Amino acid sequence: MKIENKKKIISPLLIKLTLFLSIVGPGLVTANLDNDAGGIATYSMAGAQTGYRLMWVLIPVTIALIMFQEMSARMGIVSGKGLADLIREKFGLRITFYSLFFLLFADLGNTMAEFAGIASSGEIFGLSRTITVPICAALVWLLVLKSDYKSVERIFIIGCSVFLTYIVSGFIIAPNWHEVARAIATPNLHSITSKDLPIMVGLLGTSITPWMQFYLQSAVVEKGISTKHLWHSKVDVIVGCTLMLIVTFFIMICCAATIYPTGIVVNDAKDAAIALRPIAGQYSSILFGIGLFNASFFAAAILPLAASYYICQGMGWESGVDRSFKEAPHFFTVFTSMIVIGGAMTLIPGIDLFKILLYSQVLNGLLIPIVVLFIINLCNDPDVMGEYTNSPMQNFISYILVMLMLLLNIPTIYFSFH
Amino acid sequence: MEIFKDLIDITLHFSSTVGIPIMNEDGSKLGRLHDYFIDYEEIYPSVLAIQFKRSGVLFYILWEEIISFSYQRIIIKKEAFPRRSRTFPKTLKAKTVTSILANQFTGPTVEYPPLGQIVLDKQIVDTHGKKVVRVNDIQFITAGKELRVTHAEVGMRSFVRRLNLEGPIDFFVRALSPQAKYLTNDTTINWKYVHAIPNRNIQKSVRLNLTNEDLKELHPADLADILEDLDSHGREMIFSNLDPKLAAETLSEVDEDLQASLLINENPEKVAEIIENMDTDDAADLLNELDEEKADAIISNIDDLEIQEEIQELLEHDEDSAGGLMTSEILEVSAEMSKGDVLAIIQKNHEEVASFHDIYIIDEGHNLIGTLSLQELLIHKDDAVIKDIMNDSDIKSLKANTHWKDVADYMNKYSMITVPIVSEENELLGMVSVDDVLDRLLS
Repeated sequence: MKIENKKKIISPLLIKLTLFLSIVGPGLVTANLDNDAGGIATYSMAGAQTGYRLMWVLIPVTIALIMFQEMSARMGIVSGKGLADLIREKFGLRITFYSLFFLLFADLGNTMAEFAGIASSGEIFGLSRTITVPICAALVWLLVLKSDYKSVERIFIIGCSVFLTYIVSGFIIAPNWHEVARAIATPNLHSITSKDLPIMVGLLGTSITPWMQFYLQSAVVEKGISTKHLWHSKVDVIVGCTLMLIVTFFIMICCAATIYPTGIVVNDAKDAAIALRPIAGQYSSILFGIGLFNASFFAAAILPLAASYYICQGMGWESGVDRSFKEAPHFFTVFTSMIVIGGAMTLIPGIDLFKILLYSQVLNGLLIPIVVLFIINLCNDPDVMGEYTNSPMQNFISYILVMLMLLLNIPTIYFSFH
Repeated sequence: MEIFKDLIDITLHFSSTVGIPIMNEDGSKLGRLHDYFIDYEEIYPSVLAIQFKRSGVLFYILWEEIISFSYQRIIIKKEAFPRRSRTFPKTLKAKTVTSILANQFTGPTVEYPPLGQIVLDKQIVDTHGKKVVRVNDIQFITAGKELRVTHAEVGMRSFVRRLNLEGPIDFFVRALSPQAKYLTNDTTINWKYVHAIPNRNIQKSVRLNLTNEDLKELHPADLADILEDLDSHGREMIFSNLDPKLAAETLSEVDEDLQASLLINENPEKVAEIIENMDTDDAADLLNELDEEKADAIISNIDDLEIQEEIQELLEHDEDSAGGLMTSEILEVSAEMSKGDVLAIIQKNHEEVASFHDIYIIDEGHNLIGTLSLQELLIHKDDAVIKDIMNDSDIKSLKANTHWKDVADYMNKYSMITVPIVSEENELLGMVSVDDVLDRLLS
């Protein structure tokens, strides 16, 4: 017996495509979030200061990102639980509490960086940060708690396409592709100095962040993807990360080709906008400003939201934007304080934003190996993953990547404090 | 000898007993307390055995073999025999009392899982507060020679205790406000309202027979809220154990995004049974969410041919139109009937009709020729004939392709609770009731 409903009219290909698009998403959104204020600043600075020399770092970083995000996504699909839930259930309250407590601190620093990004983009248009930051903080708060967030998310993702102009700009500049390829394929390890270490850690730290692992897993859980579609979600993660890699590549290429030869030290958003001059000419700072604003605002909305979710999940408190304050007081308190404190810190006169950014970056760098170790442990636990545990090869590569992260992070932290 | 003689408190907490060294009478150390096995069949379960770990292997010792239990050490009899097992074999005794958890562990070959593994740090359903909570600690009391579980602790105090910060935090709170509620009260859930949700592993290794008696007492709307708060695994586990009628009622209350995911792993026969118990309009909406193949399989499994046909008809309409919104479970009578006939029909068919607010009168060609509200019907004499009392002059009806927003406007304008839906030829197809429209308006 067949039903003659409207679905009949749609071709099977289209159905497959819509099915795919409905599953593809979390990975793509997360990858877009990667190019946030901190990310753009780091990539621009890296390109401007070191040229093509450190671009090869992006390759292992992307591989690590794909590996770790795939694990988080798989864990979300198989267990149907968030990362904080699983950490709590396996490692108990104490370990969960202290891990999430430090994570919250790091994320407060990250939120501040997003508001600093909003401030910088406002200054491109001649708006004082004392106006833009409070208004945007209020907007972020209202947007997430009082409106239909999901539909707004799409606007942000479309907004992220501003960064695709870097690709166009890159082709207009027409750098010496041979040189670029050589720099990536044959990394010159001897040229690395202790000055490069913070940049390398920055590239790693802005690409692989602990909160994004939590965010991705929650997003996957919320989508309710079944294990039958595990493969689609893998594609989603790979496509998202590759897209991020391409954009990052071109940001670095543009900066390396336009700013590096001039010897300008990139200090603020205006300098970084030079990289878009080949495509937008005198409007390059406007284009850059829009892109930076969109990215910062997007992340400033999602970061505190993700943090409130993982805190409440781990601690066993009620959470959800559709709850009332009375039902979920902890959730709203964490969310509101992160926005208020994060926004207010950028306004304190004489505060050394860079120092705070550095500390939150260091904290991030220390926490990501810990979070990844949690992820690897959980992904090997048959109680959590059933038949979908990690393969020995996945474990081997993951542990090597964690080792490399530690090898990179520890000397950097040492140097930055001496 | 009194087992608790070195213990001052009557109440104990799971977290503060874990790690107590277990010694043999002769002084040799066996290991440290790891977890408890309790008699899940009791309302306030007594501890049957304690679990300890030695070089990564789990053992248990029967409660009867313990001589003394205190925070410093647990001393067991010299001849006590630690048994190597991750679970505790259930003793089958005549059941006199039932508690909520007990119902979950009935079955022929059942091994009890340790208490901490299924409750501590896990989500449980609080069937009294009707919500899902995460357990911070478990409370015991000493009763004679026994140790019994009384509460699951979910509040701030147990939270602080787990962090080992009870001392300093108590000191500060006492200094700031000696009367603080925090010092004396903690949010706890009485054990008789605790419904544990065993995880994937437990379910596999000990084969629990979940009957969910306690959940059946809950209102479907509360049950739907609980399902929404659970993770996908716990959700499926509870949902697949509901009987078709309760499953159908719960499913209607669950968030739309979740509906399809709850049915995705069920077999078509079971889903068909659930669908049969739903209002046909809700059922059609739900089937629209599933992929076509699955929907076809479910529909062909529906035993009641009438319902099957109705759902298929509904599926032909656009979801956003009156046709997609309407239910075909309506009260339709012929004009020649008397009030008594109609009342008899109501008594007989009340299960199959979605709402009695309005009665629709049709001719032989199934065309709508009049309407009558239940209110009007009731005020007339018992021998009144429908055609004399029905409203046939200005029948308010809508076509099946009307957009739902226009349906809402129309119903609002004429203050209607239900509106009949007819075909182009005035054939009665079904009705849209105000709650179907309200759902759309609010989402």
